Amino acid sequence: MVKQRVRGLLCLAVTCSLLLAGCTASRPVPATSAYAPPEEQRLVVYTSHKEEVYQPIIKEFEARTGIWVELVAGGTNELLERLTQEADSPKADVMFGGGVDSLEAYGDCFTPYFCKDWQQLTPSMRSESGLWTPFSALPVVLIYNATLVSPDRITAWHDLFSPAWQGRIAFCDPSISGSSFTGLVTLLSAMGGNQDKTLMDFAVSLDGRQLSSSGDVLTSVANGTDLVGITLEETALKRVEAGDDIALVYPKDGTSCVPDGCAIVKDAPHWKNAQQFLDFISGQDVQQRMETEFSRRPIRSLPQEETVLLPLSDIPLLDYDISWASEHHNGILMSWAFYFGGEEQP
Amino acid sequence: MKLTRSFRTRLFVGFLLASLLPLLLCSAMLLQIFRLQMNAQADSESNAQLDHVITTLDSLYDGFRQTSQALKANPYIAPSLARGQTDSAMVYSELYSATEGSRANAQFDLYDQAGIWRYSTKSLPLYPQLPTQWGTLYAARQTDGLAFAQVDGGESSSAPLFQAAAKLTTSDGQVAGYLVITMTRSNFHQLLDGTYSSQNDLLLLNQYWRPVYSSLSSLSGTLAPLLREKLLAGEPLYGEGDEYAYGTALQEEMGLYAVLQRPQALNQSTRGLLTTVTAGSALVCVGISILMGLRLSRQMFYPIERLHSAIGEVAHNNLDVYVPPYRDDELGQLAQRFNGMLVALKHNQEQLVENQRELNQAQIRMLQAQLNPHFLCNTLDTMKWISKINQVPQVALMSTNLADILRFCISPEEFVPLHREVEILQRYMEIQKIRLSSTFSFQAEIPPELESCLVPKMILQPIVENAILHGLEGVEDGHILVQAEKVGSCLLKIIVTDNGKGLPADMTGAYAHRSRELSRGHLGLYNVDTILRKYYGEDFGLYLSTGSGGRGAVVSATLPLRWEEEPEC
Repeated sequence: MVKQRVRGLLCLAVTCSLLLAGCTASRPVPATSAYAPPEEQRLVVYTSHKEEVYQPIIKEFEARTGIWVELVAGGTNELLERLTQEADSPKADVMFGGGVDSLEAYGDCFTPYFCKDWQQLTPSMRSESGLWTPFSALPVVLIYNATLVSPDRITAWHDLFSPAWQGRIAFCDPSISGSSFTGLVTLLSAMGGNQDKTLMDFAVSLDGRQLSSSGDVLTSVANGTDLVGITLEETALKRVEAGDDIALVYPKDGTSCVPDGCAIVKDAPHWKNAQQFLDFISGQDVQQRMETEFSRRPIRSLPQEETVLLPLSDIPLLDYDISWASEHHNGILMSWAFYFGGEEQP
Repeated sequence: MKLTRSFRTRLFVGFLLASLLPLLLCSAMLLQIFRLQMNAQADSESNAQLDHVITTLDSLYDGFRQTSQALKANPYIAPSLARGQTDSAMVYSELYSATEGSRANAQFDLYDQAGIWRYSTKSLPLYPQLPTQWGTLYAARQTDGLAFAQVDGGESSSAPLFQAAAKLTTSDGQVAGYLVITMTRSNFHQLLDGTYSSQNDLLLLNQYWRPVYSSLSSLSGTLAPLLREKLLAGEPLYGEGDEYAYGTALQEEMGLYAVLQRPQALNQSTRGLLTTVTAGSALVCVGISILMGLRLSRQMFYPIERLHSAIGEVAHNNLDVYVPPYRDDELGQLAQRFNGMLVALKHNQEQLVENQRELNQAQIRMLQAQLNPHFLCNTLDTMKWISKINQVPQVALMSTNLADILRFCISPEEFVPLHREVEILQRYMEIQKIRLSSTFSFQAEIPPELESCLVPKMILQPIVENAILHGLEGVEDGHILVQAEKVGSCLLKIIVTDNGKGLPADMTGAYAHRSRELSRGHLGLYNVDTILRKYYGEDFGLYLSTGSGGRGAVVSATLPLRWEEEPEC
């Protein structure tokens, strides 16, 4: 008897709440969906570039193609991990940004595409398999504080091992920053010989100090906390332009010039638009614009001769093996962690 | 008590349902109606404002279009730009006349085919050079009309936000230069201020829903990406619980979406207020329901409880109960009916008892009347017989005794003192002695203190007569002894003992409950027993047993010991 009544009351309460809920939810919100673009006019881009870089490109791409771009910004590794997780039903069409060695390391997520101007791309900076399309060439450079350090004190990689710099070298944790990893591998290639010894010596030079963001390298050198640092040409030039008290050195024993790139996600829902995007960013207009506005070194031949950048041919380059670097990514990082921290086993 | 609780709960639940349900339904409906109306009103207002915005933008576009057409058609401007002239008064004059209607809304610049600034309606160009392979100029080359682009100009009020460009061609179709129309934040502010009401905010988006202008500069950075995300995800721009609602309209030629942000008609605080009011009313309802439930159940239960206990009393044969009817309602009437029923019941019962007593008395009187003619017949028969045969003087004695007995019999008293009963018994024995030639003796042993106690009239005579007729018939030296004794404090026992033939075995024991048929020949004993039981109840009556030594019979009558004028024991 009591149970029945309780059940009856419950029913009543549920009915009431349903009624109320129904009342509150009954009004449809005016549809703006008519303004939304159809699926074939969409593109989902994962990018690790800074907003100032991707924003004008995306805007121009939209204006030229009529394709709506949905952007997801984040760190390179974070986005690549996300792509791996979404491999079964990809949401992204394009991964835009990140060193091509990183893209190579996550090659399973991508599908090859040879962009329209592939022939015009600088041969050393294009993917023979078409897995990725380069965006900007990013030589690794050494920087120094222009006030505290005289220019002739640091000219090559081996100068970093001078005791004068011990504990005053700005270097970002290579497990955090992809460019720092490229820097470390460049250092290893430039020094040659026993890698473990080089790592050990470099760890001694750092004296237990690593920075947690690649941007800190420039700040730290500019304000005199550190005297020298390892960073990318593009970043350094931007800071010089902004008036920071730093100067660049292209190491005379050679440096690497690994491009960052862009790749089409495997089974991308809007792969046609993704191909257009790759054609666009490797195209002449974007490359020209990147060079003049952002000091980003183009990865293709451009008709215009005047340039603010030191011609690539004037920069001593190493033979940097991208696939070797990506294959040995984890091994190198573990060795480094061992020598640097002395705690983890290699 | 359990009953009360369940009754109360039921009442409470009933009240709760009857009050809460309509309240909640009513509140929900009112809320709904209220919201629908407010939303409809807000929607129509918002649409009117958006219409106004779009009309303004339409006329802006018309101005731009006319300007660009005028400049394109102008025969001097394109050749002048193609020649690279920088300071032609003719070009300035043409530019000013072409921009006549629109100059207040934007800055108009002329760039040559290399993207270098040449002429302006303002003293200084916004950009000394524009890239021709990028942005507005690139877009302008692709179309014959005006190309529009959003510009990231910054936060200041003079920041350029929106550009329109058109290519200017020479007669042979070569691009000679560009007309670039630039609108700053203050231009938009001047243009659009007043087209929407002050509590709303306006956001202009380009055709890909990227922010162009907003009346609150913070909206561009925060709201625009959010709206774009929702649009692309196919979600509605705002939900029921959001703080703001959004209306959208499109200016097609410029690809500008106007988004009007207005506070939701039914915002969180109004909603909260309504909810509080509803909850408060519901609480009051619950309170009233509890109070009413308690009160009504008490009002109903107390009279019922009184009736209940009264019925219990009646079940225990106590009819002197009265249930006071407190109210003149159904329960009061019920109590009154109950009282009336009790009165009737009591009356009936009394009537019944009265009837029964009258019946018994009638029976007794009838029995007593039955004795008289019987005895008289016998006596007279004997007298006649003696006087005829023997001529003896005993007749006188017999007739004297007979007269005494007759007087005693017809006296109106029903109860007489024991000594008087014994006296009459002696008269009777004298007659019987004469009758039966003194073959037996009679003796009465009554303790003096019992002589005056009251007994029913004529109860000894039938016993003794029975003894004489049945016990002493043909017995030499017959003896009859009448004794009285007090048993306990309130019982009187009268014992009649004879030394006659004794009783048949089946007649010993209590005389009670024998039918009149079985008592044939012992009608005297039957009558006495009946009289005793009718007067004093079923516990009293005659007891028959065999005398000591197996001879004779002992008949004892037990009855309450009563004295004249004294209450019953």
